[in-house]
Amino acid sequence: MYDLILFLFLLLLGYVFGQRAEKRHFRSIIEREAQLGDILVFSERKIPDEAACEGILVAGSVVVSVDYFKRFVADLRNFFGGRVSAYESLLERARREAVLRMKEAARRKGADSVWNLRLETASIYKGAAGSVGAVEVIAYGTAVRQRR
Amino acid sequence: MADYENRPPPEGINVSPTHPLKDFALLVGGISALVVVAVLALSLLAGQLARHIPFAHERALAGQLGRWLPAEPVSAVERQRRQYLQALAERLAQGMEMPPEMTLTVHYSAQPTINALATLGGHIVVFQGLIDTLPSENALAMVLAHEIAHVRHRHPVVAMGRGFAVLLAVASLSGVGDGSLQQWLGGIGMLPVLSFSRAQEEEADAAALQAVLRTYGHVGDAAAFFEHVARAPLAREPLAIFSSHPGHAERIARIRDFAARHSQVDTPPVALPAFMKGD
Repeated sequence: MYDLILFLFLLLLGYVFGQRAEKRHFRSIIEREAQLGDILVFSERKIPDEAACEGILVAGSVVVSVDYFKRFVADLRNFFGGRVSAYESLLERARREAVLRMKEAARRKGADSVWNLRLETASIYKGAAGSVGAVEVIAYGTAVRQRR
Repeated sequence: MADYENRPPPEGINVSPTHPLKDFALLVGGISALVVVAVLALSLLAGQLARHIPFAHERALAGQLGRWLPAEPVSAVERQRRQYLQALAERLAQGMEMPPEMTLTVHYSAQPTINALATLGGHIVVFQGLIDTLPSENALAMVLAHEIAHVRHRHPVVAMGRGFAVLLAVASLSGVGDGSLQQWLGGIGMLPVLSFSRAQEEEADAAALQAVLRTYGHVGDAAAFFEHVARAPLAREPLAIFSSHPGHAERIARIRDFAARHSQVDTPPVALPAFMKGD
């Protein structure tokens, strides 16, 4: 009985705080994307006008944890299959945040664009029993500034 | 460089638009429904299998019921009451096509509980509280025949099989409750688990009416017990065992209907022996 109460409490806690954090994070992401809009990002490897530029490796990484509610809903999803929408928004946040951090790093280096952008995702905890999962997304690329 | 630009993609294209709570409700609802259906199917299947347990095995299993059944009475009058009930049960059983290996053991309890119950191994318990509410032997015979019919149709062992399947399923799904399962297997708490379904109650009622009709030639007073229960305020006597029984009004109506269809011989009901009346 106490297990059930604790479980429902954790579920509620996860839902309330998870949703609040997610909404706030998305607001902040959209705001900062507008601020960093002048730093252009491309997956293209070939940098145009290469001779006049100098390239520096920049990276941005983020680790986001799953809340209890999302974890539970995703576990239930395993029975039926289909879109795990609980995790979709989580990974979307992680990817965009990683790119933003990479752009900030590029700005600090005085670059105005990043080329050859790559994204990598890694699961931390790898589904270990009883642990709450977290996901890391790292974005890296070649920041380019005019050669001085 | 001026040829290049980053157009912001539209917001929300990577996320399904379902509300998380709706997703949650659908998933929990779906899984609960599946579990309920599976447990129900399992319990019905277990009931079907339990029907085929030989009665001798059921009796052996019922040996563990010992502490639940009232002890053999010590006073002479209570022994006399028990013997009377046993004799009445055997008389009724003659008209009920009992299988030869099936035995009935009637226990008497001086408790004021207004109830009678049938359990594993052909054990039937009749409480003094019940006898005190009944106007005649015919009324007592109806209740007794109802309990015998439960035994005759193997209802206790079917109920046990169902209860066992549900308990086992719940225990293995939740991963807890090993202790309670062992307790149950040990016979503790076996009696409260045995509750009969509505269909079983109706089957027992029908068989009991036939038996009373064969024994007495009429079914006068058969509804007496249910009429009493219907009149009695529920708060006074918690009739927990009766929660699965069909509505009393419905039962009384069915018994009256049966009585009307079978030519009512104008024989007065047989009175209960004087020693059956409580102190």
